[in-house]
Amino acid sequence: MINFEYRKPTSLEEAQNLRAEYGFASHFLMGGTDLTVEIDQGLLSPEMLIDLKGIDALKIIREESDEIVIGAGVTFSELIKSSLIQLAFPSLHESSKLVASVGVRNVATLSGNICHAVPSADGAAPLLIRDAELTVSSTAGSHSVSIHDFFQGPRKTVLSENELITEIRIKKNKAKFGEHYLKLGRYRGEDLAQVGVAVSVDEKFQYKIAYAAVSPVPMRIPEAEEVLQGQRPNQPEIEKAIEIIKRRVSPIDDIRASKEYRLYMCGVMFEKVLHAALQRMHDAQSGKKS
Amino acid sequence: MKKLNVVGHDAVRIDLKEKITGTAKYTDDFAFGPNLLHMSVLSSPHAHAEIMGIDTSEAEKLPGVRAVATGKDFPQKIGLYLKDKSILPVDRVRYIGEQVAVVIATSKKIADEGCRRIKVDYKVLPSIHNQMKAMDADAVLIHPNLGDYEVVPWLNPQPGRNISHIRKIRKGDTEKGFEEADFVLEDEYAVPHVVHAALEPHITVALYDYNERFTFWNSTQSPHTQRNMIAEALKIPHQNVRVVAGSVGGGFGGKAGISMEALGVVCRKVPGFPVKLRWSREEEFYNSSQRQGLQAQIKIGVTKEGKITALKHKLYWDVGASAEYGNNVVNATGFSATGPYYIPNVSIDSLAVYTNNPPCAAYRGFGYSEFHFGLESILDSVAKHIKMDPVEFRRKNAIKVGDKVAYGVPMNPSGMHECIDRVAEAIEWGKEVESKDPDKVIAKGFACAWKAPAMPANAGSSVFIKFSEDASINVELSGMEIGQGLHTTMAKFAAEELGLPLEKVRVELPDTDRSPYEWQTVASHETWALGNAVILAAREAKERIFDVVHRAYFLEKEFLYLEDAKVKNELDPTFQLPLKDFVISGIETEHHTWIGGPITGSGSYIPEFTNAMVDPETGQGGHPNVHYTVGAGAVTIELDKKTGVIRVLHMAEAFDAGKAINPDLAKDQIVGGFVQGLGTALYEEVHFDKDGKILNPNFTDYKIPTTLDVPYKMDPILVEVPQPDGPFGARGISEHTMIPVMPAVANAVANAVGLRIRDIPLTAEKIALRLNSKEFKPEY
Amino acid sequence: MKKEISFILNGNEVSLSVSSDEKLLEVLRNTLGITSPKYSCGKGECGACTVLLDGKTVRSCIMLAVEADKSEIVTLEGFQKNGLTNIQKVFLKHNAFQCGFCAPGFILSTDELLRENPEPNEEEIREALAGNLCRCTGYKNIIEAVEEMVKIRKEGAEQ
Repeated sequence: MINFEYRKPTSLEEAQNLRAEYGFASHFLMGGTDLTVEIDQGLLSPEMLIDLKGIDALKIIREESDEIVIGAGVTFSELIKSSLIQLAFPSLHESSKLVASVGVRNVATLSGNICHAVPSADGAAPLLIRDAELTVSSTAGSHSVSIHDFFQGPRKTVLSENELITEIRIKKNKAKFGEHYLKLGRYRGEDLAQVGVAVSVDEKFQYKIAYAAVSPVPMRIPEAEEVLQGQRPNQPEIEKAIEIIKRRVSPIDDIRASKEYRLYMCGVMFEKVLHAALQRMHDAQSGKKS
Repeated sequence: MKKLNVVGHDAVRIDLKEKITGTAKYTDDFAFGPNLLHMSVLSSPHAHAEIMGIDTSEAEKLPGVRAVATGKDFPQKIGLYLKDKSILPVDRVRYIGEQVAVVIATSKKIADEGCRRIKVDYKVLPSIHNQMKAMDADAVLIHPNLGDYEVVPWLNPQPGRNISHIRKIRKGDTEKGFEEADFVLEDEYAVPHVVHAALEPHITVALYDYNERFTFWNSTQSPHTQRNMIAEALKIPHQNVRVVAGSVGGGFGGKAGISMEALGVVCRKVPGFPVKLRWSREEEFYNSSQRQGLQAQIKIGVTKEGKITALKHKLYWDVGASAEYGNNVVNATGFSATGPYYIPNVSIDSLAVYTNNPPCAAYRGFGYSEFHFGLESILDSVAKHIKMDPVEFRRKNAIKVGDKVAYGVPMNPSGMHECIDRVAEAIEWGKEVESKDPDKVIAKGFACAWKAPAMPANAGSSVFIKFSEDASINVELSGMEIGQGLHTTMAKFAAEELGLPLEKVRVELPDTDRSPYEWQTVASHETWALGNAVILAAREAKERIFDVVHRAYFLEKEFLYLEDAKVKNELDPTFQLPLKDFVISGIETEHHTWIGGPITGSGSYIPEFTNAMVDPETGQGGHPNVHYTVGAGAVTIELDKKTGVIRVLHMAEAFDAGKAINPDLAKDQIVGGFVQGLGTALYEEVHFDKDGKILNPNFTDYKIPTTLDVPYKMDPILVEVPQPDGPFGARGISEHTMIPVMPAVANAVANAVGLRIRDIPLTAEKIALRLNSKEFKPEY
Repeated sequence: MKKEISFILNGNEVSLSVSSDEKLLEVLRNTLGITSPKYSCGKGECGACTVLLDGKTVRSCIMLAVEADKSEIVTLEGFQKNGLTNIQKVFLKHNAFQCGFCAPGFILSTDELLRENPEPNEEEIREALAGNLCRCTGYKNIIEAVEEMVKIRKEGAEQ
């Protein structure tokens, strides 16, 4: 039978100490929208739930000179409402709006989303194209982990037993840029991504391309970025990039979508996202609001 | 005709205020106090297995467990038309998820844990998950004792085969009809299992008391039928079973007949304690009922002028592991699989085939949605083959009043042609629209539909009306308000007939001890059948009122009428006697004695002209259906050729309600039914693995439409060609509104890009991959 | 594991002991007699269990009761404490619901929408309510009712 202890620390130190004590027998609780369901299904049976919602310091989105810092307690609803995120990190704004529904977004957090580390994590692709850095903390102190090193496999992250994420940091773009995120679902209502694509481009035509839900971990596709680099792409380069993308991803076959359709849509969606990102970059250059 | 004051006018639903204040009591909202016990169910992990033994001893030892039951305790056979399932299985399980044992405990958690401690020894048998394979000569028999089951006389089970019913229709000479045709087309269509997905899961709370009486509080469409089935199964007096209905959070056929409620009888082991069993969403998928899967083979012949000469329609239904109620789906569609067309030569075989999938039963549309998918698709194809506009083709063949239907009975009055015309006009049929996006195509699709109530020939309805001092009335009935607006409709019939304003009428949910008999709230037959009973009850009350007035004032009854809650006299406008002055107390005479007394009325109705006993080889010789309701539907879609995504931009549907009692609410049924149909057209499907395990028993992966998925423009249209024996001319339309949707959308896809989808749903994946495959060739 | 918690429920302070794995929905329904939020999917996917927690809609079927400690919870029972709200009156006028099981969730989601965004357009209304499933209505009357609420507010503001 399910039985666990519940604590709600009010300081980071307290949370770290609890984590140090219980290790993987404990689980951090943020929105809990995935966690409680998995406990109900018997997928998880923690001895201790450490609710991080009592730590006010984690609930802040702040702007520093060259960075945007998103506290681990910031919910998707707060991200959507943040004009800073909307302007400086539009792909995250877009992907946040596609997470489940309002009642879930009001409590679910970006950090919870990526720590849960399912391949379809809505927050992952935008963070990958912005080379996000995660502040990882424990009783031993804190250090930074790149989003590129964070995902280790389905539901596996680099976090060790006594660690937690406290913030997600993204460099502000100095140059004009355009970015876009697109998610494939079975309909417009809430769905888990069957393909997630984020693309960014800057004035020098430096591209970043990331995919979710089509490989064991969300991933960047540097070889495809390479093909497009430094130019406004023509159809042959786009097709080449798509070919590379389709080689690099390894989607699964399941009831949500077949491998074949996911692969096919990796290409279709890439074109749509790329053109939208280019358009936005163009709009930014010409001073238009996207 | 007399001016109508209530019927035909819009009104706020009489049940709505309690629903929008959260005060409507659904079954799970009733309070039972701290003595309430909880039941959990152990379900089978195997699709087909013999039960060699069940060891419940560990569960019984668990503190808090109050009772455990298996098929040894409750082996009784149960089933609406064919008793092919047991309350709990005795020797065999037939689908994954079938309930094997139950535990009653002081908490749900303990009951769950109790189930985990039960050990069942199974001998696994081969299982069949496809109805075509289940008909093979060497297929394992799912019901080896089919020949021993109790069955109604109008079903034809085939012992020794996995076929629990065949309905055959033979009309005219199909071979000759095909010879006369200029063009013959054959095709196959498939429809998967889908679920009702009512927001409220099934629930029963059962109490066995020391008077040896059961009381059930159920979320149900069928209080009296449940009472009857439980009393018959346990061989106990009907008066010892009482079913009390709560508000129902959606039915759609899923709460018709009996399913999990039968497990409530286990409460007999804990007398004096109420026991609650509420399905989880996952159990809801496995263990209530689903919609049948269908494999349809169709052959149709037409002349070059567009006249249908012959139709051969074979319907192979996957009814799952038990067919008790589902057999009537197979039966009803067997009679009607011509669709709303006059076809001189018809051959229909409709077969109920057992598989080791979850049991299937009633679902909004009762099989008609499924066969219309193939039929209305092939009609579009064939029309295009002979270069005829599909709507014009339908007009040419649409059934008219008096035309003989497939079983030889003349068609009832109905506005099939008007429905076609009104929908064609609303959807602007023939007007081409181009998308601004070069990846997208805008196209339209059209389909017709019909459906008759499917019920035994003697399905009865009855109603009591009683007055209160202020001339308000209670209309007592057991038809269920499941969201369709039944209470408002019945209140209006009574109000209209008794000259009362709607606010004076109260209709409550039934309790089988106190409310008069109703067969079931199914078949979209209540407006018509129960409505007739309400009117009969109101007329009886009216007759008593006039009788009292006649005796008190010596007025001729034939000149009396009711209006504005008064008795009035056609011969004397000054005579206006308020009902409230006498409907309880009576009328005082000059001698200070009193005439009359509390006014009541009762009414009973069965369709006395129906007869289910047809020739099993031809389907002729009876009168199995009371009447058909007809309609048509069309959509405008925008299809993205690259992603395969369909957006329905506009829908129009017209149905012939005979007389719309609440025009607004009738239109709401069209909109709601359309959207439910849209889910089944675009993405709804129960996915099974090869062993029959459901892969999507949740809303994570079984998608039903949201606010973002419905068309922005929806045009519900009401046609009113009166039903001669209907109350104020009314007939039902609620289920029907789902029927045209699958083929209308499929036809729109074919019109858009030449892709003919023969296996619904029309997922974006199917469309994108087929359209963009090298083998793709446009077709009709 | 039992835990003492307290919160303001519909304006009244409530203190009670809950087990750490109990959901807020279970505690509201089974312990506190609050029945307007419903169990339907148990996974936060249908919105029938919606309640307002500190003014925001949450899915009480997947929220632990202990998480609600020291918060303020409003259910339909408290929402309409002073009689039918304008939201309810307009839903009534439009015959917005059929079986009514989803109605409490829709009403609270609509309240949140109109507080966050007093003049939503049709698309914003649909987005905000997409997490509340209804199997009966096809949503037409629900959306039209919310549009009318917006119109009434606009006209009220102009006067």
